[in-house]
Amino acid sequence: MKNTFYYIAISVTLLSAGACSKMDNYDAPDQTLRGRVIDAGTGKNMQGEVSGENGTGTRIELKELSWSDNPTPLYLATMQDGTYNNTKIFAGRYKISADGAFVPLVQTGATPVDKSQTVDIKGGVTTVDFTVEPFLRVEWMGEPVLNTNGTVSVQVKITRGTADPAYQLNVTDINLYINNYPYVGNNANSFDARYSNRVAYSGTTGNNLLGQTIVITTIGGALPAKRDWYVRIGTRTTFPNLGRPFNYNEVKKISIP
Amino acid sequence: MKKIIYSIVSVFFLAISACEKLDVPPLNVVQDKDIFTNEAGITAYMARIYSRLPIEDFKYSPTINFNAFVIGSFSGITGEALSRDMPNTVETFNYWSDAYSLIRECNYFMETLPSYATNFNTTQVNTWLGEARFIRAATYFALVKRYGGVPLVDKVLTKPNQTISELNASIEELKIPRSSEEKVYDMIGADLDYAYTNLPETNKPGKVNRYAAAAFKSRAMLFAGTIAKYNVINLTSGADRLCGIPSSKTVAYYKASYDAAALLNGKYNLYTRNWVAGDRSAIYQNFVNVFLDASSQENIFVRQYKYPDAVHGYDALSVPKQLEGPGGNYSSETNPTLEFVEMFEGLPKNPDGTIQTLDAGGKYILYNNTMDLFANAEPRLRATVILPGDMFKGQSIEIRRGIYTGSAAGGISPLLPAGSTANYPTTNIVTSAAVLQTPYTLPNGTKMNPAGASGVFTNLAANGPGGSITGFSVRKYLVPDKPTAEVVTNRSEQSWIELRYAEVLLNAAEAGFELNAAGQGGSYLSTALTNLNLIRARAGATPAVSLTSIDTIRRERRKELAFEHKVYWDLRRWRILDQEQNSSLYRVLMPFYSSDAGKYFFDARTDERNVRFTFDTRWYYQQIPTGAIAKSPNLVQNPGF
Repeated sequence: MKNTFYYIAISVTLLSAGACSKMDNYDAPDQTLRGRVIDAGTGKNMQGEVSGENGTGTRIELKELSWSDNPTPLYLATMQDGTYNNTKIFAGRYKISADGAFVPLVQTGATPVDKSQTVDIKGGVTTVDFTVEPFLRVEWMGEPVLNTNGTVSVQVKITRGTADPAYQLNVTDINLYINNYPYVGNNANSFDARYSNRVAYSGTTGNNLLGQTIVITTIGGALPAKRDWYVRIGTRTTFPNLGRPFNYNEVKKISIP
Repeated sequence: MKKIIYSIVSVFFLAISACEKLDVPPLNVVQDKDIFTNEAGITAYMARIYSRLPIEDFKYSPTINFNAFVIGSFSGITGEALSRDMPNTVETFNYWSDAYSLIRECNYFMETLPSYATNFNTTQVNTWLGEARFIRAATYFALVKRYGGVPLVDKVLTKPNQTISELNASIEELKIPRSSEEKVYDMIGADLDYAYTNLPETNKPGKVNRYAAAAFKSRAMLFAGTIAKYNVINLTSGADRLCGIPSSKTVAYYKASYDAAALLNGKYNLYTRNWVAGDRSAIYQNFVNVFLDASSQENIFVRQYKYPDAVHGYDALSVPKQLEGPGGNYSSETNPTLEFVEMFEGLPKNPDGTIQTLDAGGKYILYNNTMDLFANAEPRLRATVILPGDMFKGQSIEIRRGIYTGSAAGGISPLLPAGSTANYPTTNIVTSAAVLQTPYTLPNGTKMNPAGASGVFTNLAANGPGGSITGFSVRKYLVPDKPTAEVVTNRSEQSWIELRYAEVLLNAAEAGFELNAAGQGGSYLSTALTNLNLIRARAGATPAVSLTSIDTIRRERRKELAFEHKVYWDLRRWRILDQEQNSSLYRVLMPFYSSDAGKYFFDARTDERNVRFTFDTRWYYQQIPTGAIAKSPNLVQNPGF
């Protein structure tokens, strides 16, 4: 019995010693890639989803060309202010593109377009910005107003962000999102469904609201008082990429006393 | 000495005889000459390729595979039904290499059979070649409707007796890039034309005849036409449009669909064996039998099952809870949604088309029986869905959410505000979490269980007690005389009807409407109207006087072909699934019993599980499996993956 125990102990020791002999000698990812997604019309950052995760907002596509011409892409999420930052990228040569609620940077077909950038990521921090034409551009036309009945109204103007008729598609949603936190958007838990006013349009009815100042008011009665609310407008068209992400304006805060 | 010489000589003889035959084919592997020289061999080959045919039948699950042991319900991702075991998902099992294996088997058959053709008569050879072509076309259709353009392989790529090193030398030729979506549909069309020409008028049950090829072509070409008209996704590689079809091809494809459907005129009929004009119960019984009568003249192509060799578990998965067989919690996986039920006529409706449960004063309408609400419902609805309180297998199917114990004087106000997703209040309502429950004593002294024997229970977890979660249960395809002891998994054997004439009529109606809309002439529209009304008359619905919207035909299709695993692909090709499922909650109809009034009322609300459905637009062209791209880097990935 004792011998059996020793044999087991010795073989376990030997096995684990053998396991030590091979180290992962590849350098850890240590490069930083960051940048902005810029609205070509205004020069400002293009606002996006709270977190542009896979298929819900703006995302950055990285294809590492060091190993294959047709690699499996790696996707980075962007932040809602239109920036992105990742500090754990392997050094190498990448083809970088972005995808979201804007005219695709890579288009195939009769008149192909390829605005992706091929970049060597090395030497610490690499900055790659993208200038894009959003499908729709949402502008604030004033500060959010607290109405006497406790609701909040906002004024915005929505315009086309691109002159290309192929991407001037029907507007399907104009939504007011409101939340208790400064992270506001269409993601399941980033808006308060009780007060957010979401309106869907069919056909061309949504297009008639473009280019004019529209007033949108929260629903569901008076907002709970004595707290800060964060609000912005999201809108989208029928263009079927990535689960149809939204175009937004900047988040604004309104304090209800 | 002499002996030694003899033995040496005999060794020589042995050696000589050994030279004679060394290179023999392995005797334990079935050879072409064993298969292709006799009918039994061909039958075996055919049985295999038929069994691998990618049709979404009883044994298909988007999260498991074809030919799988299914849990959940495919109808649970289309909005037709809710299923406790079917989340919001897209197909997860990467149908790719199985498809190309099957395509290779078809190609191998087509290339090998002609050299053995002398063993058979011409009719046999043509039939078999036609069947192989049909199966290849159906496999390409399964690929193109998922991925768009895929690599076209119309021959066996390897040569006989090729060595590994020879294969490696030509490996680059085998990395075939994707063809355009249009070319794939054109090849499907050409294969089906060949099959139509070569197949006989009739064939054995479970095998295709020429009309199955024509019917399948009407389906495939309708897909192509719809994509040409409604798709806006574009992916082009070189000169080939991998995703999407130029809109200039719309009319050609719709015409191909329409013409293929016309080939079946006079050859098949809608099933009307028990149908009696104006007799609602006869119309209902007739529609139930459409799916169970093996001799139906409506069936064009079926996949047969036979216990105990080839079985499925549809009855076990789909019966209401109270008829659950032994052997585990298998029942009520397909619970039709209220949205689906509201598509039918004959129900009291609000002006916006939703079901009316409240009177003008905003109080619940009271009914003596739960079936009273459905007294005038279209017979096809009763034949498709088990409504609360309806009879099935000699039992009244008891579906009740709970007992309302509050006062009914002056009417009962809605339990929740309109549109609320909240839980029901706990005051004045008694409910049950499971089948075993404490009866509630009614004011008259009798006892009643809070929940019905088939639901609805408050424990709605996927591994919970089951029961209906929407207030309805599916009836289509259920065998009404199957003993409960046999309602177990792997015990059902009703045939899957892959192609029936009603679909062909609806294909022609849809293609006809679209052709008329494209300015191809009014005769197309009148055919569309005729076909639509043939379907409606058989279903017991009111005939349409005129056709002004494609939605009329689409809605008819969704009602007629519900729970037949076709609607999902229709919603995809119409490109409307992302609008229908956009963080959407489906609605349910909850029957309550008011103990004070002694009557039932219904509450229409959203799914109590709060399961939201979203169809990602990327899913219109599914992800090419990354393993396939790793093997063949010439494959271009679909957009967004």
